[in-house]
Amino acid sequence: MPDITITIGGEAGQGVQTIGEVLSRILIRNGFYVFSIQDYHSRIRGGHNSVQVRFSDQPIQAIGTDTDLLVCLNHETQEIHQTALKKDGIMIGTISSPPSPSLPSSMVSIHFNEMAKELGNRIFANIIAVGALIEILGIDEKIAELYLEEIFQKKGKDIIRLNKEALALGQKEIRKHQISRKFLDKRNGSQNPGKLFIVGGNEALGLGAILAGCTFYSAYPMTPSTGVMNFISSRSKKYGIIVEQAEDEIAAINMAIGASYTGAKAMTATSGGGFCLMVEGLGLAAMTETPIVILDGMRPGPSTGLPTRTSQGDLEFVLSASHDEFPRFVFAPRDPQDAIDTMIRAFNLSDHFQVPVIILSDQYLADSNWTFSQIKVNEKPKNTQTVIGDQNYQRYVLAESGISPRALPGMSEALVVADSDEHDEIGHLTEDLELRVQMHQKRMKKIEKMREKTRPPVYKAGKTATIVGWGSTYGVLYEAREKLVNLGVDVGLLHFNDIYPLSKDILTFIKSVPQPVVIEGNYQGQLARLLERETKIPFSLRINRYDGRPFFVNELMNQIREVLS
Amino acid sequence: MFSFRNQLEIAWCPGCGNFNLLTALSEALVELGLKPSQVVLVSGIGQAAKAPHYIQANVFNGLHGRSIPVAFGIQSVNPELTVIAESGDGCMYGEGGNHLIHAIRRNPNITVIVHDNQVYGLTKGQASPTSEAGFVSKTQPLGTVSESFHPLALAVSQNASFVARGFAGDKEELKSIFKQAIQWKGFSLVDVLQPCVTFNRINTFGWYKSRVYSLPEDYDPEDQVGAFKISLEWGDKIPTGIIYRHSKPIFSDLVFEKLGRKEFLNPTRNYQSIFEDEKHGFE
Ligand SMILES: Cc1ncc(C[n+]2csc(CCOP(=O)(O)OP(=O)(O)O)c2C)c(N)n1
Ligand code: SF4
Repeated sequence: MPDITITIGGEAGQGVQTIGEVLSRILIRNGFYVFSIQDYHSRIRGGHNSVQVRFSDQPIQAIGTDTDLLVCLNHETQEIHQTALKKDGIMIGTISSPPSPSLPSSMVSIHFNEMAKELGNRIFANIIAVGALIEILGIDEKIAELYLEEIFQKKGKDIIRLNKEALALGQKEIRKHQISRKFLDKRNGSQNPGKLFIVGGNEALGLGAILAGCTFYSAYPMTPSTGVMNFISSRSKKYGIIVEQAEDEIAAINMAIGASYTGAKAMTATSGGGFCLMVEGLGLAAMTETPIVILDGMRPGPSTGLPTRTSQGDLEFVLSASHDEFPRFVFAPRDPQDAIDTMIRAFNLSDHFQVPVIILSDQYLADSNWTFSQIKVNEKPKNTQTVIGDQNYQRYVLAESGISPRALPGMSEALVVADSDEHDEIGHLTEDLELRVQMHQKRMKKIEKMREKTRPPVYKAGKTATIVGWGSTYGVLYEAREKLVNLGVDVGLLHFNDIYPLSKDILTFIKSVPQPVVIEGNYQGQLARLLERETKIPFSLRINRYDGRPFFVNELMNQIREVLS
Repeated sequence: MFSFRNQLEIAWCPGCGNFNLLTALSEALVELGLKPSQVVLVSGIGQAAKAPHYIQANVFNGLHGRSIPVAFGIQSVNPELTVIAESGDGCMYGEGGNHLIHAIRRNPNITVIVHDNQVYGLTKGQASPTSEAGFVSKTQPLGTVSESFHPLALAVSQNASFVARGFAGDKEELKSIFKQAIQWKGFSLVDVLQPCVTFNRINTFGWYKSRVYSLPEDYDPEDQVGAFKISLEWGDKIPTGIIYRHSKPIFSDLVFEKLGRKEFLNPTRNYQSIFEDEKHGFE
């Protein structure tokens, strides 16, 4: 079955998200794989919002380009989205302008709100819309009804009955019209029996942190990382996690460092602008060798930029943030499953090496939902590695491995002295320049061992060229590659989750892939530049997008072909 | 037992008010019968911020202005520890002013000791937030025009849990204030008048000696309005002692009340079963 893309648009507060969510759940129960993403403005009411729901009986993990079915909750939706409507697409809802000759799509004018008023409450408009959608798509209403029963269970029988009526009303309205196109052959889905899970990026990042054993989370709200804070706060009682909304990002990271020094697995999250404020704290964690996990949900900048859009523009920033040099890990999860595993690994590695770990997420990952036939925990969370010391304990002993045994304050006779100034082995500040050299070498030495712990990129071979990317673009790149291969263009895929440090083997390997084309959500090609620096070979074929939108499969395929021609 | 650390050379100018402050604090810790391993001294950056290095205890010497959030993190995770944040007036009121306000609001059980020399020592004599208007330095050759900051008035007005002023020239009183502040359950602010003999030629030991007076026995530190008045007193007469005291619930107790008594160090979380449980939310 080809995938189907539905776009629901309207004003903020009109229920765009609810319709998307309910429809997604019904599709999942039907056995379809769903990918959904929100596109919203930085305001709470007004402004145009949309949700895209893309589904198929095959796994899909990317946003679609052309719309099969457009749901307009207001007039603006038609204006904004009709150009993306396929030739055989269908548009329903509030439709004003007559169909333009260039748009042979069929249109059904339905007024969800007015129909809802008939039912006695505007609140039912969303479910009426869902009813219309399932009728057009050809989904068995029994599945939809069961879902409604489930979610409204707590609200009582009357509410369930009214919602079912709303659903039927939407269906009935559609039946009055001739719909030009059939979407699903079998009315009774279940092409793909078995359980499917729908997981959002921010929820997965939050769950990963909880599984990893995080007990202290301090942050200052900033889109798109706030969802992680919400997820963790909502479970803080259940699992025993101190969640504190700090007065600013500076306080947030310093609180987390204090908590980690004391022995908690601590984390903070923000977006680029907030990360700017955290940078001095990043250096503090590095100098004091205090483990910490920092999540940067990227959005376009510089400065406040486009608060609700996506970007991959912070890579070079996080690679070199803070003055002087120190070891750090930089990871960028591909999707929610990977986010869970990456969070666990981040906490384990941060603790093991006593270094900061920076996780790069972005608005696309944060606000999208993926469907998996199974989700798993592929990484095992480890306990913090600490020692019980005595009076002779020295926090920064010049250990061969670069990793000095870490004791916690108050847990033994050991006194734990941590210092942001250059320090001696005990931890007291020093201006002895020879000792400075030894301490700096001790810290920097970790990088070699860290290299061995990083994961190789995902690699799929291709003869003519290799598309290269990192982080949340995985799904789009994967699909673009598949489609190109099907069209006879034999391209490979090289996709990075662990970005820094890269192992020697990987660096050698990268040099051997045919014609790399680096695809990134930034202007300068920041991964490409990193790879150039590390491998000393040019990565000059690049595709960059920086308009705040994610990559779309079809557009990208054309761009790849152009670059290669 | 606590003692001065002998092997560390003290990097302060001879005659500096920091010495008495250091003695008073170490003696206070000894007299309170605390074990060095139970105490964490957190500091920022500056001359004053070096003080924790000279005391035998756990130390976290962090960033300029950031000792309070670090101390907060430490105390939240392990409330058994005695946590003291110590730094200069530039550090606590300048770079870190925002954190002071919010710590008062949160009321964690930490003691904040400010070495208030009304000048930036380590960076060689610039005006600090508590410098008096007209203060002349290389950076302020025409004299500062801004009014000085009143830390105690701010703290009292914000209903801070414990607010006191000490004078480095009166070690015994200072020690007694420190002991009360450390024993106090909640956020304590102790502003210490600390003459800088190198860069502050105005607020000298002599200048203070002719002005400071201890609050009388019958002074009522529980009265916020009275305390606010006293906190504004500055000039010919400068009061020292416990200016305001107000018992209220502390951050970690409130958090434990909400979360239940939880283990924040290596919690026993069965990640597999948590995952199985949470997974259902995704179906
Ligand atoms: C972020 C940052 N800004 C500036 C400095 C430089 N600096 C170090 S100490 C200091 C001021 C110290 O004054 P104060 O806190 O009053 O302490 P004192 O030295 O007088 O005891 C400054 C500005 C720094 N270390 N970090
Ligand atoms: S500069 Fe001032 S505060 Fe610093 S040690 Fe010297 S006298 Fe003391």
